[in-house]
Amino acid sequence: MGIERNSPFSPPRVTPGGFALPGTSRTNHTGSWRQERPLYETSPSPCHGACPAHEEIPVYLDHLAMDRPRQAWESLVAANPLPAVTGRVCPHPCESSCHRGSFDEAISIHSVERFLGDMALREGWSYPGFDGEQREEAVAVVGAGPAGLSCAYHLRRFGYRVTLFDALPEAGGTCRVIPDYRLPGEILSREVERVLAVGIDFRPGMKLGRDLSLAELEEGFKAVFLAPGRQKNRGYSVDHALPGDLHHGLDLLWELRNIGTLPRWERAIVVGGGNTAIDLARSLLRTGTREVHVVTDEELPGAPSQAGRGVMPAISREVGMALEEGVRIHPGRRIGRLILRDERVVGVELVHALKEFEGQTPVHRAFVGTETVLEADAVIPAVGQEVDSAGIERLLQNRTMLPVLPTGQVEGESRIFAGGDACPGGGIVSHAVGSGHHGARMIDALLRKKELSPKTPPSPIPYSSLNRVYFEQRPAYVPLEVSPEARDGFSEIETTGSFAVLRQEADRCFSCGHCLECDNCWTLCPDGAVLKTGGRSDLPFPYIFDYDYCKGCGLCAQECPSGHIRMVPES
Amino acid sequence: MREALEGSQAIARAVALCRPQVVAAYPITPQTHIVEGLARLIADGLLAAELVSVESEFSAASVVLGAAAAGSRSYTASASQGILLMSEVLYNISGLRIPVVLTCANRAVSSPVSIWNDHQDSMAVRDSGWIQLHCADNQEAVDTTIQAFRISERTELPVMVCVDGFTLTHTLEPIDLPDAAQVDAFLPPFRFSRTLSSSAPLSQGTLVSPEFFTEMRFLQHEAFARAEKEILSADRDWAGFVGRDCGGLLRVEGDREASVAILAMGSVYGTLKDAHRSGLLGRPVRLLSLRAFRPFPAGAIREATQGLSDLIVLDRSLSPGSGGIVAHEIRSALYGMAKGPRVVNFAVGLGGRNVPGEIFREMLESLEKDPPSFSIFDLDPRKLPDPGLDAATEMPSSGPVLSPR
Amino acid sequence: MTSSDSPSPSLDWSTLRNSQPRFSGMESGHGACQGCGQALATRLVLEAAGPDVIVANATGCLEIFTTPWPQSAWTVPWIHSLFENAAAVAAGIEVALRAQGRTTKVLAFAGDGGTFDIGFQALSGMLERNHEVLFVCFDNEAYMNTGIQRSGSTPHGAWTNTSPAGKVRQGKRHFKKDLLAIIAAHGIPYAATASVAYPSDLRNKVRRALDVSGPSFLLLHSPCPLGWGHDSALTISVDRLAVETGLFPVLEMERGHVVTTMKIRNPRPVREYAEPQFRFRHLLQDTPEAREELEHLQALADANIERYGLLATEPGPRDTEGADTVRRGGSRWG
Repeated sequence: MGIERNSPFSPPRVTPGGFALPGTSRTNHTGSWRQERPLYETSPSPCHGACPAHEEIPVYLDHLAMDRPRQAWESLVAANPLPAVTGRVCPHPCESSCHRGSFDEAISIHSVERFLGDMALREGWSYPGFDGEQREEAVAVVGAGPAGLSCAYHLRRFGYRVTLFDALPEAGGTCRVIPDYRLPGEILSREVERVLAVGIDFRPGMKLGRDLSLAELEEGFKAVFLAPGRQKNRGYSVDHALPGDLHHGLDLLWELRNIGTLPRWERAIVVGGGNTAIDLARSLLRTGTREVHVVTDEELPGAPSQAGRGVMPAISREVGMALEEGVRIHPGRRIGRLILRDERVVGVELVHALKEFEGQTPVHRAFVGTETVLEADAVIPAVGQEVDSAGIERLLQNRTMLPVLPTGQVEGESRIFAGGDACPGGGIVSHAVGSGHHGARMIDALLRKKELSPKTPPSPIPYSSLNRVYFEQRPAYVPLEVSPEARDGFSEIETTGSFAVLRQEADRCFSCGHCLECDNCWTLCPDGAVLKTGGRSDLPFPYIFDYDYCKGCGLCAQECPSGHIRMVPES
Repeated sequence: MREALEGSQAIARAVALCRPQVVAAYPITPQTHIVEGLARLIADGLLAAELVSVESEFSAASVVLGAAAAGSRSYTASASQGILLMSEVLYNISGLRIPVVLTCANRAVSSPVSIWNDHQDSMAVRDSGWIQLHCADNQEAVDTTIQAFRISERTELPVMVCVDGFTLTHTLEPIDLPDAAQVDAFLPPFRFSRTLSSSAPLSQGTLVSPEFFTEMRFLQHEAFARAEKEILSADRDWAGFVGRDCGGLLRVEGDREASVAILAMGSVYGTLKDAHRSGLLGRPVRLLSLRAFRPFPAGAIREATQGLSDLIVLDRSLSPGSGGIVAHEIRSALYGMAKGPRVVNFAVGLGGRNVPGEIFREMLESLEKDPPSFSIFDLDPRKLPDPGLDAATEMPSSGPVLSPR
Repeated sequence: MTSSDSPSPSLDWSTLRNSQPRFSGMESGHGACQGCGQALATRLVLEAAGPDVIVANATGCLEIFTTPWPQSAWTVPWIHSLFENAAAVAAGIEVALRAQGRTTKVLAFAGDGGTFDIGFQALSGMLERNHEVLFVCFDNEAYMNTGIQRSGSTPHGAWTNTSPAGKVRQGKRHFKKDLLAIIAAHGIPYAATASVAYPSDLRNKVRRALDVSGPSFLLLHSPCPLGWGHDSALTISVDRLAVETGLFPVLEMERGHVVTTMKIRNPRPVREYAEPQFRFRHLLQDTPEAREELEHLQALADANIERYGLLATEPGPRDTEGADTVRRGGSRWG
């Protein structure tokens, strides 16, 4: 008789036959059994980790896959304002890191990026995110290449007044010398113009050290971002010998950009293994030089390499196309001697060589007794550029590059930041874009008097965290290319894919560490403890755990295809 | 209108008059004629019901359970082994408080096998929570069947109408079958308060913890107290239509002032009444026909036994090692009663053994010889094994295996 | 990094729960074990069957964990009678509905004990009498509710408390009863097997079963983490292996003839299925007896593959790797 004597509530009253009312189990909060709780948690995807511009790749792929191209582009340009450019010229390390590559084939991310970039240009979309609070502080950005443009763009998004200086009459920086068959000048111009149109005060023809000084910038602006690039040709000679009519590779590419043609030679030798060398070699073939050779002491990309051997830094796909087009590459060789007649080159002596690394330091070796002679009427060095020290001598202090801290600040400076090719580690456009973005964030922190805490990128979600059984193998999208035989002049080689095929390609994405909204958790929870949020904007994800009922079985985490659910011990 | 009808056919017609929607049954002697009769009525279009010829009594009971829970008036019939096979379901139907009517064509229970009548089968399920009403003749069987639906549906307790196998089910008697209008007026269409329906989706058959089980069982027990009133009112109201009753809980007849009474259940009461009418009893005797075995009408029994010195209780079943079952309950009902009668219990007619009218006089006479409180009255000792003889004939015997010498 | 640990304080959970775009026939708060395959399977079956159903439930875990009075997890009309009579109770409900002219669908739910063993007779009778009932057997291959005893459905070699593995016995000596063949012999319009690892397939089969007129039968493989001895998170993964090894063939039959099978794209060795499960652990020992029994189990799986032609000749959208693949955007289940 002592039922619930001490309870303040009456016990329930029994029913005839012991019937119960529907759904009354909801009063039983089985969540109290839980020892571990599942969490929805977005983790960095490997592509994001590998992207020098820090694009949220799974996010825009998801938007595109779900038929939201504009949102896809808007998400993309939240990191990178120049997708039509990077979609064409970036060597896409994202694709090399793509987990899908371990399953079947990596997503053709660059094709999607390029598609979105082009679609935005065609549709005339303007950048989102410029309607926030406007700030009084003015910031100077020096150099209107991708790093400077990116920094200026992001600073404007944060609301700052931005003045952008460049020595040249046009913005675009070194991107300008990329030949049209890779990056049509018009595409570059349109994206650059769209960036400048976000309210940047662009001052062309203003060269640091000539038209303005660091001191003036420090005086007139709250912060300075330096992105001067590498404009000065590295010195070149072979045993102090030089041909009389020496042309540097980058200068010739500028010549091609500015006057539309190049000198014609019978047989030109381009020295170097970088993009400038390859761009120039292919451009020479297109402008009438009969035979073009590239000499480098590095190895061809993709060659069976021994550890420590140097590999041509040029984008491997471009090297491949150069070979297809008839450029003759001599890897593992260097020029031992120039054969000159009256200061004119008539040939070179090639010698077997290699480039090795001892730690970070490159060591060049050549092997006597292996010499051969290659006749030529031009030798063009394309062995890299250096930072022009004019106006920044104080910062360089005899170093070849601007030393920057993880905060983006130049060593020893508080208000001067730097990025792009003038800093160590650069070299590709998307890296420049990323460093500009980083600089802008750090400047913002400085001006808001917040701690400058550079994000240490969290390690990307491992392949083993994905549940691959929910995916089927499907071949990747292969971009259409004009065949080597049909390549004509400087018209573009690769074409932009259609919406339909790229949407499909985007849909192949595993969405590593991101929610696919696949409904697995919602469908497979034995306890009905996963609810759809129905697009409520105050909730971060499409689903939410009802911890009143979640028993912590871990099934959702196990079956989440993209590793978006993590089990953590219940406190 | 009076017709000469076999008991089973009369019961089938009575069931049909109650318009059940579902009939489920499995054949077992002596129940078969009832279900065959219903099948013919359905085949002839005289009854619009679903006849489910199941693969076992277990399923027969389960089908009517489901059908009634889904809101259909449902009926089944069985006997003997069939009742025992469905016993688990019988408990369940009652616990779920589902109204169902079952005719038990009472028969002995194996082993040894007997297809003939006694009450062992319904007695085996007396604690299953079913109302059990016994019929003294086929007219009572018809009237009780009709009443049973009303009692069941008003009390939400299942009702077992107990009709002696062969003795009643296979016997031709003149029967007054009511007409449809009378039954329709007496018995409204069935409406189950917990009908399985998406519009009120209740869960039935839940797990009940010790914290509530007692109260659940109490509800079931209490319903039987109310059932006494429903049995009485059904009998009274039905008598209003047909001019005859079935005795309510307990029929008291014969010599009301006699100091000796005989109590019987089922068709034996008919034999007893005939013997009384023909003067075979040789002395005044009060006659008690116990109709309701569940609920057990203790109050009515105490009242009906006032002034008696001796009460003979006839049992048609046996609880081996104990005795007659009805008598136990009678004794317990009379316990502590001032000047209560001596109760003498005789089991008779087990496994269909004929109970002749003359036997009652012998019983009455035996009262003078200080009989034991229980005995099997019609036992023939000559038919029992002789222990001396057994040893001589090397009858097989059980026991420990003797180790070899 | 965004995580979900801080839900909006203003969230009205009840409204959110009641507005989910699916029918919830079995509500949260039931007392099934963590990772219970049967709880999941039941919810999936009811999602597909919809609200206008009546369920007759046999005794077992499902009945116990859903209805500790005064609570019930069910939102559909539901009745539990006994262990062995779900088919008969369902048949009774069905005839009653027919008599009343109601069109509500009737489902019978039972475990493998209530189907293969004690409930088999009532099931056979129900099928033979052509009742329009969908009988769903949640097959977890042993008597789990009573504490893991072997049933007619327990696979060969599996440990249970009444088929323990010891010095002279390697788990269950007998084979899993070929219930499908028996069901097939009834010639009913529709019978199928399905696994909780393939929810779309499962639900399509429920819909198909409810579309036919007459009896239908669904054998639904539902892992029991407790009784099989695997991690509660692995319910789906383990059951997928049951299908991919061939130990549990997934197929459909009409009138007793196999009309579709879920083809196995890449058959997996039974060892992979056995490894995460305690009930097969003794077969992984390095003894001749264990090796022989494991090979025996493999041979049984191979025999299923051969008998039902389960091997895929080319990848297909409904084979073991094509079925239930991901569709993004919250529309996977339509």
